[in-house]
Amino acid sequence: MIVNVAARVAKSAANGPGERFVLWVQGCPLACPGCWNPDTWDFSPRHRMTVDELEAEIAAVSDIEGVTFSGGEPFAQAVALAELARRVRRRDLSVLVFTGYEMDELRSPAARALLAETDVLVSGRFRLGERDLLLPLRGSRNQRIHFLTERYRESDVAAEVKMEVHLEPDGRAVLTGFPDGRPDEVVMMMLVPSFAARSRST
Amino acid sequence: MSAYITLLTPMTDRACLLHALADLGFGPEKVEVHEGPISLVGYQGDQRAQHAHVVIRRQHIGGASNDLGFVETKTGYQLIVSDYDQRRFGDTWLRELGERYAHHRRVQEERAAEEERRRIAEQRRALVEAQRNAIHERAKKLGYRVEESREGEKVRLVLVKRVYG
Repeated sequence: MIVNVAARVAKSAANGPGERFVLWVQGCPLACPGCWNPDTWDFSPRHRMTVDELEAEIAAVSDIEGVTFSGGEPFAQAVALAELARRVRRRDLSVLVFTGYEMDELRSPAARALLAETDVLVSGRFRLGERDLLLPLRGSRNQRIHFLTERYRESDVAAEVKMEVHLEPDGRAVLTGFPDGRPDEVVMMMLVPSFAARSRST
Repeated sequence: MSAYITLLTPMTDRACLLHALADLGFGPEKVEVHEGPISLVGYQGDQRAQHAHVVIRRQHIGGASNDLGFVETKTGYQLIVSDYDQRRFGDTWLRELGERYAHHRRVQEERAAEEERRRIAEQRRALVEAQRNAIHERAKKLGYRVEESREGEKVRLVLVKRVYG
């Protein structure tokens, strides 16, 4: 089984409870205006990885408590991700899934299979008009957190908003989590003291 | 969805930046290089408040344009472009320039001798340190607590803001 992958981070503290392996899938049919990751909408193959490869990569990371599927739209690849989720849960890792769908839209057998392997689901379209930068794990007020198993409760996610910057040795910076504003601008503001000069000039 | 954004490699090397500009049509005859920052000039010949080390004069861009500049900072060269000129020299152009820069940087590193490699590695470490310091400073101003961890040469900064409700 193949997963079309946009990106992955081995260890993140800003994508759900505790330290987590995060997988962003490639391809999303919803295309919410104002989405943080529009480059993940296209369904063309980006990094094709088998479920076996992803499982091995996750298994090689130490000291994580779970895996997060983000995107892109994870439920657009529900069959393969349900299998991956089943395998990682066998390793006693939890599964958190971000989806742009509402819970009642997830009725297909494939969607149900992924839901059955999910501990926490964050659901709903990102709506620019309802954007709220102070909501843990969400971008807009209409989005909902569902605790589908006993593994977590609200207090595990409720109190903090996090974003995370990974600085690579070659100077590349990766931003993940929930930025306090447009992500590219947030990072530019942080990294480049003169950034504000760019838009002041007329 | 949670965000995943890869920023372009910061442009820290002047020679590679000049090569990249040449690839996009701004060869040496159109680019001024200054050791110290100099004032940029607006479309009416007025002196602007912004300063830059690498300057493309408005005559090489268009009649209604302002000077385009790159100011040298600890975290790399930063483009200074007017709102008017952003239509042509906005994010898409900057990304293209960044890709050309990255190409020339790779070529430079492949050709480099051992001593030069060590110098480049040292530059990289200094850049990551400058990025780290900049993020700490800004995060504090924005009300975030920063949790830092390192794995080899990689640095991870988690910015945490406590919310209620």
